[in-house]
Amino acid sequence: MENPEQLIRKGVHHDRLKEGTVKAVLGGLTWGVVLVALLIFGRICWDGAPAVLKSEFPFVDTDFLTAKTETLHVFDDAVGNRHSLPATEYHAWVEKEGSDAVFNEQTYSYSGGGIAGPIAGTALLTLLSIAMALFFGVAAAIYLSEYAKQGRFIGLVRLAILNLAGVPSIVFGLFGFAVFVLAAPVFTEAPSERSLLAIPLGFTWFSFQGWNSSLIAGAATLACMILPVIITASEESLKAVPQGFREASLAMGATRWQTIRKCVLPFALPGILTSSVLSLARAAGETAPIMFTVAVAAKDDLPWEGLSNPFGIFQTQVQALPYHIYTLAARIPSSEFTQRAQYGSVFVFLMMIFLFSALSIILRNRVRSKLKW
Amino acid sequence: MPDSPTSSSVPADHPFRRKGRGTDGLFKAFFAGNAGLTIVILVLIIAFLIREGAGFFPDYRRELELYRRSGLEFVDLSRKDLTAHEQMSSLLNRAYYAQVNASCRNEFQRSQEAAAIVNYLGEVVAPAQSALQRVLDRAGEEGVPEELQASLSAKYQALLADALAGRAGKGLPPTPHLSSAERAGLLADLKSRDPLSTDDPALVLALQEQLSARQDAAAQPLEDFRAAIDAFADASVALDNLVAESGDTVKAIKEAATLHEIETTKRATLLEAAAKAKKPEDKLQFEAEARAAVTTEAVDFAPALKPVLDRIPEFREANAALSAALAGAGDKLPKRLEDAKAQRYLATFRKGMDAYAIELADTNAALVAWRNDLPIGLGSTILGFVTGREWITGGEWQDFYGIIPLFTGSLLIAVIALALAIPLGVGAAIYTNQLAGRREQNFIKPTIEFLQAIPSVVLGFLGIAVLGTLLQETSMKDSLSWIPGFPIQERLNMFTAGCLLGLMAIPTIFTLSEDALNNVPSSFAEASDALGASKLQTIFRVVCPAAISGILAAVLLGLGRVIGETMVVLLVAGNRIEIPDFTEGLGVFFQPAHTLTGIIAQELGEVPFGSVHYRALFVVGILLFAIVLGINWTAQRMLHKFRIGHD
Repeated sequence: MENPEQLIRKGVHHDRLKEGTVKAVLGGLTWGVVLVALLIFGRICWDGAPAVLKSEFPFVDTDFLTAKTETLHVFDDAVGNRHSLPATEYHAWVEKEGSDAVFNEQTYSYSGGGIAGPIAGTALLTLLSIAMALFFGVAAAIYLSEYAKQGRFIGLVRLAILNLAGVPSIVFGLFGFAVFVLAAPVFTEAPSERSLLAIPLGFTWFSFQGWNSSLIAGAATLACMILPVIITASEESLKAVPQGFREASLAMGATRWQTIRKCVLPFALPGILTSSVLSLARAAGETAPIMFTVAVAAKDDLPWEGLSNPFGIFQTQVQALPYHIYTLAARIPSSEFTQRAQYGSVFVFLMMIFLFSALSIILRNRVRSKLKW
Repeated sequence: MPDSPTSSSVPADHPFRRKGRGTDGLFKAFFAGNAGLTIVILVLIIAFLIREGAGFFPDYRRELELYRRSGLEFVDLSRKDLTAHEQMSSLLNRAYYAQVNASCRNEFQRSQEAAAIVNYLGEVVAPAQSALQRVLDRAGEEGVPEELQASLSAKYQALLADALAGRAGKGLPPTPHLSSAERAGLLADLKSRDPLSTDDPALVLALQEQLSARQDAAAQPLEDFRAAIDAFADASVALDNLVAESGDTVKAIKEAATLHEIETTKRATLLEAAAKAKKPEDKLQFEAEARAAVTTEAVDFAPALKPVLDRIPEFREANAALSAALAGAGDKLPKRLEDAKAQRYLATFRKGMDAYAIELADTNAALVAWRNDLPIGLGSTILGFVTGREWITGGEWQDFYGIIPLFTGSLLIAVIALALAIPLGVGAAIYTNQLAGRREQNFIKPTIEFLQAIPSVVLGFLGIAVLGTLLQETSMKDSLSWIPGFPIQERLNMFTAGCLLGLMAIPTIFTLSEDALNNVPSSFAEASDALGASKLQTIFRVVCPAAISGILAAVLLGLGRVIGETMVVLLVAGNRIEIPDFTEGLGVFFQPAHTLTGIIAQELGEVPFGSVHYRALFVVGILLFAIVLGINWTAQRMLHKFRIGHD
């Protein structure tokens, strides 16, 4: 107490130690999380990369990406060599050598060949859902940011957006199943028994009997799920366009719609597209909503093969990459023979998702640096 | 500006004005319609969930009524006692084996490890070994071609060398409990073993012998205990037989009643079709089919049940036997067991004894009071769903839809996830926002955001392929056996799922907490600094309290994400529909369970459209929807409060 300076110094010293400890603990926690994230990433790359990469030029093994999913046959031949072949090669082998030459055979479903079907299915599903969600979402955002005044309707819309954003994905799956698969309206010659309501139109029926499990039903479900994200992001981009642009345009005598089309949308579009890339990643990554609305575990054709008319593609079931991974993880016991299919699919899937995410971050930064007012 | 044009200077019918007004209203209506779409979707979600789920309670009530009418409920009164008895004896058995195994844990592990090595080698050499075997089997009289045998033997040797060096598959299993000499001896033994022999090496046999000798030695002092357990377990034989016999009777009654109901429904449909039919011959045919549709008579429940109800005295006698066995067991059991785990099981048994005795007495009263014609109210059906402890579907006896097992699973997993995610997420947010340098921030933030981008199915896959095995192997270590629940029995359990869900919740909690900390006005921290507070005091006494509602909201949103998450729990939680066994203490977290989300994902694809089971899944969906909305709503309220506080 006699020497205040000493007291202060003492205090500072004591605090240093404490601060250092707290900082070390919190920093340890944080870097622990970061480390786990990197470990996960590393593990998947380490085990998955061999499926799509090879050691000689051109280093990328496209077989895995372009071949269809098949059953894997693992067996020994007469001289004790172990083979593991996808179904088509296996049948060719058996044809050549005779079925007596196959011993200790084991089969692993979905584990042979490649993942062309799931990739194509996911691509179609994601593109279709993002197209729907962008159309409705941007229109809703334009209303919210350009037309709406505070009122009851707006309050309700905002409440709905907020609540929709929190609905669990499996509930979206139930919703999609009950609405799009079982109750959405179609034109049909003969309404089915479970149709909710069938309106005769003379030459045909307009029946609420659902779209069955199909591409369009799955895409609609996913679109509903990402709609709130797209609306919120689009509204932000629209609001970021300076008010002066609108005022100037209106002052020149343009109508509201002309103003929006010529002076607001073009400047908000980069931002909207950026955020939609992020939603793309989310739509591609979800499994629960597509389980009952579109996805199948096995399909011999790619989605566009064997269709009678071009619109038939909307009515086909497709394989999807997340559902394929679910099937591989849940139904196929892990072994050295299934590892290529399992880790390979996960690796490709994760790369796709990260590509989208990284793309959206890069785009966002470019948009921010380019558009400044 | 004296000559600026006023609004009246443009004539009302000027094309400039007219053109805009007409279409602009349309555009506005179009955009408003799209905004309204969100409301429509939300209303559709609620409406269709309720539409599909609403029929559940009346249907379930009808099923329960049939359950009571046909006397299944009566038999279940005693069956419940039997199940409880089984659980009690299993507790005693677990106590017994825990005590026995505790003393020969080392021998057991040595034996297991040696067997693991033998198995590993056997699997690696299998292709060559089986080919060799095959060739010799088929050789017959003329013998085996020299060349083939030589090449196969070479192959076998190559594989064996690979295996001994641990190059194939996952490598040689570790043997921490075998001495290096023993291990070397075992490997040498295996190396020199005849290619065709599958006999176990000497060491494996010796270890097995040691183990059984040790087990016998450990069981010696427990002989009385064993006898008491067996006596208690055997006491249920009379009741077992009674339940099985009367179970068959009532099941037949129920099946007859169900068949009759199906036939009556079919007749009603046919008669309806007959009424609608336009051609007279169609009408006649439908009517004829309708008459033929019903082949059985309606079941008269009371007389059919009489033979079962007449046996009530026998039931009471069997019950009395059980009660006597229970009372007798109390005296014969050892006072205490040395092993902590065994002692816990025994204590649980003793604690359960009184409750079980009361339950047996209650059953006696309930058997007499039971009537098959008491109505079941809708209220008690709903109560039965909300407080039901069983979710049994697709069984031959009776389906029950009780939400408690699923709810417990979801809750326990959420507890584990939050216990991990709150310290990590909030801690990382505080560190990144307040303590880390700029360069550190620029690395940490994107990495944790990347964590959010990982799809849940990928995490679920990792849980199955990596984490589950890793945790189980870790739990086998001797040095960790003091942790409750270790060694882990099931590879897929709530803890594994909770860890992964925690990992999923961290980015949510981190990002939102960081935002909340960021939003604290810098003047707060500046004022605190100016008053001479240290850095830590500023952070924990000023900044964090100011951001607390934002952090709480972040935690709640994280909870919402955890409860609503499907794929991880479906893949990793183990999917056992049972209330976890809380007698294990903290070890309860290492048991498998099923969840609200998981059950929908797993069963919706398999149930027939419109059945009670199908509707039950939608009711679970409604419940889930309500829970998650409630959580999110609370979080939003908190955020709102937070904003007002700083404006």
